Amino acid sequence: MRPSSLARERRSPSVISSSGLPRRHKPDYILLIVSILLLAIGLIVIYSIGPGLSVNSKVSSNYYINRQMISVFMGIIGFLIAAFMPLKKWRTVEKPLIIGAVVAAIAVRLFGQEVNGAWRWIQIGGLSFQADELIKFALLIWLAGFLADRIKSNQMGDFKKTLLPLIVVLASVGFVVAGIESDLGTTSVIMCMMAAMAIVASLPLKKILIFFGVVSIAVILAVATSSYRQQRILTYLHPSSNCQTTGYQTCQALIAVGSGGMIGLGLGNSVQAYGYLPEAANDSIFAIYAEKFGFIGTTILIGLFAILFSRIKNIIERAPNNFSRLLATGILVWFAVQSFINIGAMIGLIPLKGITLPFISYGGTSIMFVTAAVGIVFHISRYTNYTVPSNIAERNYYENSHNGRRLGGSRNPVTGRR
Amino acid sequence: MNNSDKRYDFKAVRNINIIYWIMLVVMGIFMIRLFYVQVIKYDFYKKSALSDQLQQSKIPATRGLIEAHQGNQIIPVVLNQQLFTLYADPSLVKNPQSASEKLVSIMGGSYDDILAKLKTPKTRYVVLAKKISQDQSDKIISLKIPGLGTVGQDYRVYPQQELASQILGFVNNDGQGTYGIEQALNDELAGTPGYLKAITDINGVPLAASKDNIEIAPTDGKNLVLTLDIAIQKQLEDIIKNAAVQEKSPLVSAVVMDVNSGAVKAMANYPTYNPSNYFDVTNPGVFNNAAISNAIEPGSIMKTLTAAAALDQNVIQDNTTYNDPAHWIIDGFNITNIEEDGGAGVKSVEDVLNLSLNTGATWMLMQMGGGEVNQKARQAWYGYMTNHFKLGSSTGIEQGYDSPGIVPKPNIPNQSGDQQDLNYANTSFGQGLTVTAVQMASALSSIVNGGKYYRPYLTDGVIDAQGNVAYNKPKLIDSNVVSSKTSNSMVSLLQQVVTKHYQSGFSYLNFPSNYVVGGKTGTAQIANPKGGYLENEYNGTYLGFVGGDKPQYAIAIFVTTPTVNGYAGSYAAQPIFGSIVHMLINESFVSPKGS
Repeated sequence: MRPSSLARERRSPSVISSSGLPRRHKPDYILLIVSILLLAIGLIVIYSIGPGLSVNSKVSSNYYINRQMISVFMGIIGFLIAAFMPLKKWRTVEKPLIIGAVVAAIAVRLFGQEVNGAWRWIQIGGLSFQADELIKFALLIWLAGFLADRIKSNQMGDFKKTLLPLIVVLASVGFVVAGIESDLGTTSVIMCMMAAMAIVASLPLKKILIFFGVVSIAVILAVATSSYRQQRILTYLHPSSNCQTTGYQTCQALIAVGSGGMIGLGLGNSVQAYGYLPEAANDSIFAIYAEKFGFIGTTILIGLFAILFSRIKNIIERAPNNFSRLLATGILVWFAVQSFINIGAMIGLIPLKGITLPFISYGGTSIMFVTAAVGIVFHISRYTNYTVPSNIAERNYYENSHNGRRLGGSRNPVTGRR
Repeated sequence: MNNSDKRYDFKAVRNINIIYWIMLVVMGIFMIRLFYVQVIKYDFYKKSALSDQLQQSKIPATRGLIEAHQGNQIIPVVLNQQLFTLYADPSLVKNPQSASEKLVSIMGGSYDDILAKLKTPKTRYVVLAKKISQDQSDKIISLKIPGLGTVGQDYRVYPQQELASQILGFVNNDGQGTYGIEQALNDELAGTPGYLKAITDINGVPLAASKDNIEIAPTDGKNLVLTLDIAIQKQLEDIIKNAAVQEKSPLVSAVVMDVNSGAVKAMANYPTYNPSNYFDVTNPGVFNNAAISNAIEPGSIMKTLTAAAALDQNVIQDNTTYNDPAHWIIDGFNITNIEEDGGAGVKSVEDVLNLSLNTGATWMLMQMGGGEVNQKARQAWYGYMTNHFKLGSSTGIEQGYDSPGIVPKPNIPNQSGDQQDLNYANTSFGQGLTVTAVQMASALSSIVNGGKYYRPYLTDGVIDAQGNVAYNKPKLIDSNVVSSKTSNSMVSLLQQVVTKHYQSGFSYLNFPSNYVVGGKTGTAQIANPKGGYLENEYNGTYLGFVGGDKPQYAIAIFVTTPTVNGYAGSYAAQPIFGSIVHMLINESFVSPKGS
């Protein structure tokens, strides 16, 4: 160990900086590395299916990879901004984000394009923008701030101050995203995100149940009122009987996943990407990946997501304040639920939803907001507590220790473990 | 407890762990499901995948080319050209107007027609254009208009146009050789198609390399080299075309055969057709190679064969004379001579041929029976015609339909009662039996070449896909058709017929003395479908040869119902023979004496 780092380790246990946060330290590089690996996997898959994607369109085989490289480059900028912007700053951009999200939500219905029954895209010049990504992100920032404020003012149990606004926001988001845009996938992600943040913010259990009750009723209503969604549910229940019509994508996705076998067909050998599986670069990219790399590949991919989730969970546990803790929670659930819906649809476990696989799917909007979110978590990881307390006694023990860390070789006075 | 900005939040830690564990459970379920789908059910999904992705397609074999001689060269007469059919699935063409515009700019045609086809309702397949070029097809494909496609197909092209079309035949839309050599040697020409089992994209286009691909290469068809000499063929076609027009004959056929091999050097019929446009032909009769498929009553050229048979049996000699009564009563019917030159008196064998005496041919037949037309005579004559000269059966030449002709059996009564002797008297001078031009040319070849019967043939060589050449040798079927003595006698007898005809005023029979030319005319009555013979219609025929020291080419000519002033044999068929022999001599296709 170099002398300088030794000296730093032995500095005063007073780790609270002037900003009220723990002193800045080494960020979570594993989080960064896993994110880079996931983005790289996405680029490799999109690059390798270029010829297949050009079968049914007029674009050249390099069209998708070139655009995705630009997206990743923009994503890196988004990451850097989020990684270096002080967390408090996010509170100040809350309003512009909300306004932007509302505008985007209206615009997507007025000027947007319908893809497979859902309104998700707005064309601006040659670029297309996915409104739901912005809505998700804005809601995340706002809700983290809102809940942090309520905790601070000790109003978490207050129906009017806390639960009612949550239900109103949820209902209006549900109305816009699920009702108007017909985007049930994103609605599900938003609901889970809000619910998880409320849980981590320690909203009383009774209130959480009310909240979930509203959510379930909304979902049932949404499904019941849309024939397009009823069809999806029916397709989900009987996929093989609808292989040639509504279940086509589900069937082709399963065929892609299943024909990958144990080791996969190999990087350049996907066949399903050659026009068989719709949305091969976007929503169906997991199935193409599974076809190329087999069970070994899918294990590695899900393993990488598991590592990513566990890193974010660790950061949440050691988050220095409520706002950062809630932000990271929202991001974790966003990534997780969106991945689960996407992968679950591809392996026939849940009804098909038009939703991207974070980090992997083609699409600039998705990449930019995902990398920005990673940037936020990365930023938080530089200000985390050193350890995770499980109760007050333990916390006190660490607080009184030399540098907030359990000393090597010493026993935990509470648990007796090393 | 102060809730403000908790640096440590135990409840949150507990709750996030609950959420995290739920996530791990979900991922665990996913892994189980993935194991089930990718490992346990792998075979099922692999099979499903292949049933969509793996497509078997036929790889057509390239059809063999057909070539022919031109002097010492070998030049192609039938080639292949790949042309494309443009088709569309109207339900997939989103903008028919712009598509039609683009198509018209590439391949011409009518904008309205194409637009109408592209707007055809309730169909998923319309043909927009046929026989467009490779270049046009490539341009159309590069437009990437959804719903449009092209499919290539080999078409036959004929650099010599109409030349030898009836010998060649054509290839129909199903790729099947029809008529002529295309039909007779279809298997050799067609080759064996290969097949490709390949992983394809959604549009059925094979993907480059996949271990599931199986490709069996096609075996291309063999190229054929015809015995025909293009130069002779061309001029023969011109000669018979002019004659047919001049003599107002609905059908003229002619064969030029190498007497020493049976190789057909030229063979033509008029009218004919252009095989490139076979589908425009209104009368399918012109597809037939009449020289082979059209068996008719040959008339007096048959006396050549009867004389050869009698000489060879030694029942007459080339200098035998006899007393001709100008008519015979056989089975109660009168056999007379049609030509005026008859009249009772002492006649020689040469007279029989030169004056074309029916009574003379009957006399020869009688000699085979020991002086009368009887069972013995009939059997002797029948044996010569069928066993020696191979009449009454197909020659086996490589053509679509090779007519056997009919030679009446010597001891089976025909329908009109027991008139076998009369029938045989008639057959001895060429009525009451049918033959084709090629049969007669082959028979004459065997008579004038020393007695060797070669199967007539049209293909000299077969070149397989690897370039190996297999030469067809002349097929000697019978080397004792007639004795060499008979052969020599017949050559000089027929030569004298030509000389006498020249002397009697057919000035075009003035051949140079260093060539040997012989022949016999025939004017044949035409059987009336209602019974008996037609009153005023005759077919003109000619059977002859030309050579130097020895006869080189046998020539048979059939002219159907010509309108000429005089006997059809002498005035319709004989001039054609004269033109052909002059052409062969003038263009040095025949080697003169002493060469």
